[in-house]
Amino acid sequence: MTPPSPGQNATILAVELTDFSAIELRDAIRSGETSAADAARACLARIEEVDSGENGVNAFIQTFPERALEQAMKIDERVAKEGAETVGPLAGVPVAIKDNMCLAHGRTTCGSRMLENYESPFTATAVQRLIDAGAIVLGKTNLDEFAMGSSTEHSYFGPTRNPWDRSRVPGGSSGGSAAAVAARMAPLALGSDTGGSIRQPAGLTGVVGCKPTYGRVSRWGLVAFASSLDQIGPFGRTVSDVALALDVICGFDELDSTSVNTSAPACAQAVDAPINKLRVGVPKQARNEKNHPAVAEALERAIGVYQSLGAQIVDIDLPTIEYGIAAYYIIAPAEASSNLARFDGVRYGRRAEIGAHEDLISLYSRSRAEGFGEEVQRRIMLGTFALSSGYYDAYYTTALRARRLVKEDFDRVFATEGGGPGVDVVLSPSTPTPAFRIGEKADDPLAMYLEDYYTVTANLAGIAGVSVPAGLASMDDGVRAPVGVQLFSPPFSEERLMRAANMLESGLDWNDRRPPL
Amino acid sequence: MAEIQSIELIVGLEIHVELATRTKMFTRVLSPAHPDAGEPAPNTLIDPVVLALPGALPVLNKAALEMAMLVGLALECEIAEFTKWDRKSYYYPDLPKSYQISQYDLPICFDGSFDLPAPTTDEPARIKQVGIIRAHLEEDTGKLLHELPGGERVEYSIVDFNRAGTPLLEIVTQPDFDNADDVVTFGQALRNICRFLEVSEGVMQRGHMRFEPNINTILTLDDGRIVKTPIVEIKNLNSFRALRGAIEYEFAEQPERWKRDGKEMGPGAKSTRGWDDVKGATVLQREKEDAHDYRYFPDPDLIPVVVDEAWREEVRSRLPELPHRRMKRYMDDYALTVKEAAALTDEREVCFFFERTVDVIRQKLESILPERAGKQAANMLLQYGAKRANEAGCLISELGISPEQVAGIVSLRDGDTIGSSAADELFGLLCESDEDAEQIAEKSNLLQVTDSGQLEAWVEQVIADPANAKAVEDVRGGKIAAIGRLVGGVMKLSGGAADAKAVREMLVAKLGS
Repeated sequence: MTPPSPGQNATILAVELTDFSAIELRDAIRSGETSAADAARACLARIEEVDSGENGVNAFIQTFPERALEQAMKIDERVAKEGAETVGPLAGVPVAIKDNMCLAHGRTTCGSRMLENYESPFTATAVQRLIDAGAIVLGKTNLDEFAMGSSTEHSYFGPTRNPWDRSRVPGGSSGGSAAAVAARMAPLALGSDTGGSIRQPAGLTGVVGCKPTYGRVSRWGLVAFASSLDQIGPFGRTVSDVALALDVICGFDELDSTSVNTSAPACAQAVDAPINKLRVGVPKQARNEKNHPAVAEALERAIGVYQSLGAQIVDIDLPTIEYGIAAYYIIAPAEASSNLARFDGVRYGRRAEIGAHEDLISLYSRSRAEGFGEEVQRRIMLGTFALSSGYYDAYYTTALRARRLVKEDFDRVFATEGGGPGVDVVLSPSTPTPAFRIGEKADDPLAMYLEDYYTVTANLAGIAGVSVPAGLASMDDGVRAPVGVQLFSPPFSEERLMRAANMLESGLDWNDRRPPL
Repeated sequence: MAEIQSIELIVGLEIHVELATRTKMFTRVLSPAHPDAGEPAPNTLIDPVVLALPGALPVLNKAALEMAMLVGLALECEIAEFTKWDRKSYYYPDLPKSYQISQYDLPICFDGSFDLPAPTTDEPARIKQVGIIRAHLEEDTGKLLHELPGGERVEYSIVDFNRAGTPLLEIVTQPDFDNADDVVTFGQALRNICRFLEVSEGVMQRGHMRFEPNINTILTLDDGRIVKTPIVEIKNLNSFRALRGAIEYEFAEQPERWKRDGKEMGPGAKSTRGWDDVKGATVLQREKEDAHDYRYFPDPDLIPVVVDEAWREEVRSRLPELPHRRMKRYMDDYALTVKEAAALTDEREVCFFFERTVDVIRQKLESILPERAGKQAANMLLQYGAKRANEAGCLISELGISPEQVAGIVSLRDGDTIGSSAADELFGLLCESDEDAEQIAEKSNLLQVTDSGQLEAWVEQVIADPANAKAVEDVRGGKIAAIGRLVGGVMKLSGGAADAKAVREMLVAKLGS
């Protein structure tokens, strides 16, 4: 393939480029087969095509077309002048960033009216690492306000639609990033995962999404929802792309006290090597009768793949999965009530107009009532209540105890000593059901919270998790909707996690399926 | 109604010390409590962490923790092996995160005690111990202002976040004080300790230290009943005068208040008052201690701190000899009075200057006894230095004279080659010169004249002066006290250069008494 001249067969070329994986695109840019500028143009054109309008996906809150092209051309210039080896591992790869990560360009809204016009003076460490690796930031993606939700319906900027069926949700809260990758608007995206906010939308949109170990990726510049649970992670259409992105964003950062100073993973290099005699634990709780039939089927299909690859399937018991949601919905709102207290209308963000004779309390309460949506307000109230004197022990302390039990449960199944089953990874569905309809659960917070049933435990335990596409469900209305399965691995074993996920992907090949868009 | 027979005062203290770390407690911005910050314009010592911008995270400044440990160790506190950070939540425009990072149940320092130095009189010292409940680290808030810099009134409030995030050490004492003097003595001793530890410049006007006494009284009534008046907390006192004033005011006022309203100590009876410096009275701020729920919980952005023995002992090894111990040593070794010893330990630099001077004297005059060297150095600095420093508005150590030069004066005095008033003059000259004491004394004709021919001429002249006839007569008649006038006359003639002792001896010999 020779480098195309501008304008020539642009449409056909664009379709091809948007189908490239991040690694393919990077290699093509390095080799001169294509250019970073064309890759950026192709993605921007795709965004133009499918994201806006009444029935658009609405994955992006804002895009930076000029800046993206400018940055891309700089990459091309470097490839031409200094050589392909001088550009980073993501040279020219367009990426989408969830809009709760700070970027010193454009706005950082968190999907909230509170920060509708907020511009951050600094860039999040994880985002900066992508940029330093040569990635081109296309724009900021939609999310449930302040990452609180499982459907990306709770955004001040309107819901994001599932590229597989635009009447359905893409999951959330990183629904914009998931949809952007699924709909070929970007080969890579960053999301954040506090209770499943990467893995659940990855499952519902048919892409790969990973939540690294707590402490792996710096949280500097990630607008905090629940500090002890939040973790940034990548979306991609292949496990290899996600592995590469992990290598780029992981690593110690002295600006985040909870960042762990350990050697960065080398997932990209390891991902293709299958693990010999892999021990895959399947909790009996994963075979829940409430699972959608397609979800149950996908799980068995994944088990089959592992068996065919010589892995050993181990039946395990993780009884504390049952405590997960309850503990999570105390701890996360408690931290959120405190983290979001800074949005008071005093220094930045939305400030309500108050009369000359109204007091400070009016300024606070009106600004917050105007700035925050219903779900955010609900969680602030839940968390404030849980931390109140007289209730603290009954709720917060108890939830911390449950969290410790969840952690110990995982420690036990990963351990070999003490008669532990010593599994390498744990396999479960990503979500109990495929994507639901927009509005279906909007008025039923409890049903919405159960979306995180399979994912929250990884956040509570601080372990790594990844969702891999594992099938398409035929829904009542004839729509075909993706389902994903999820793997967990012990803290700081991302290489193992990516290798196990790659084995599954190679045996399933669902990531080749494209949404009808 | 029963009459009050006796009143007992009970005071406990909370002290906030701004620790002079170079950067703030959780970020790299320069801290206003550090001398490098100078006089910053409003809202210049800020960054995303200070302003609590979305996505900003705190990272602990280790120096703040070590300074807290130093103060704790100086107050004989235990140092926690495991300590953590808690969020204290409340809304106020000067509190950027709407929570303050503090320490709730596991403070870095706890269970200490401090022996009060004796009051600055020459009474025999009495040992009085003050219990230290805890000392914890927290971050300071910004400042809410109601007028523009320069004083122009505005219709709204403005905020200066320079102070926000400065490390504060909050020290809490037991209610062990029963008089205002002891509270002030403790406050001053603590300020000196902080200066010696170099954790604070201790400039009260700049808010480096703020005091909040909790005060109440115990009334013994003539019917035998004992009544405790409600506890009053006085907020934010930043001078020792205010501290003393507020305590004395409450001591006098609380029994009167009780007579008026009959309120006694108990749940919900605590009130908060401020000090009005102009009226010299405390002013009610909050009637009932609001049952404020701060919703403390561990800060998930920060990791707990484990202080192992090696770290703790390494910090302990940095403890200098503390001012109250130095004071005692000066009194024991140099026979200084309490007042003298206090004056020399009040400022770290003066204290070090004094000690260097003693060292040089002992090198210079090998035969001199340590006690005499200490006393001589103290005399020089406190007699000749203190008044000059006072006039110049600086420390004795900043006058320009060096310890070597002071030792030179001591040496000249010790050999009787210079008189007392000449020594004073020489001290003044040396503040402006780098030359040796001996050289300057010689150049300026300050050395004593012991040449008997010259002395005799002056003595004869004074005896012959008709104005002195009466004095001469008196001395001859045995009224030896009158000799002072004659000695003074000779000294005057000599321009202070005569050796007063020799003059006196010569007069006595001549006038035959």
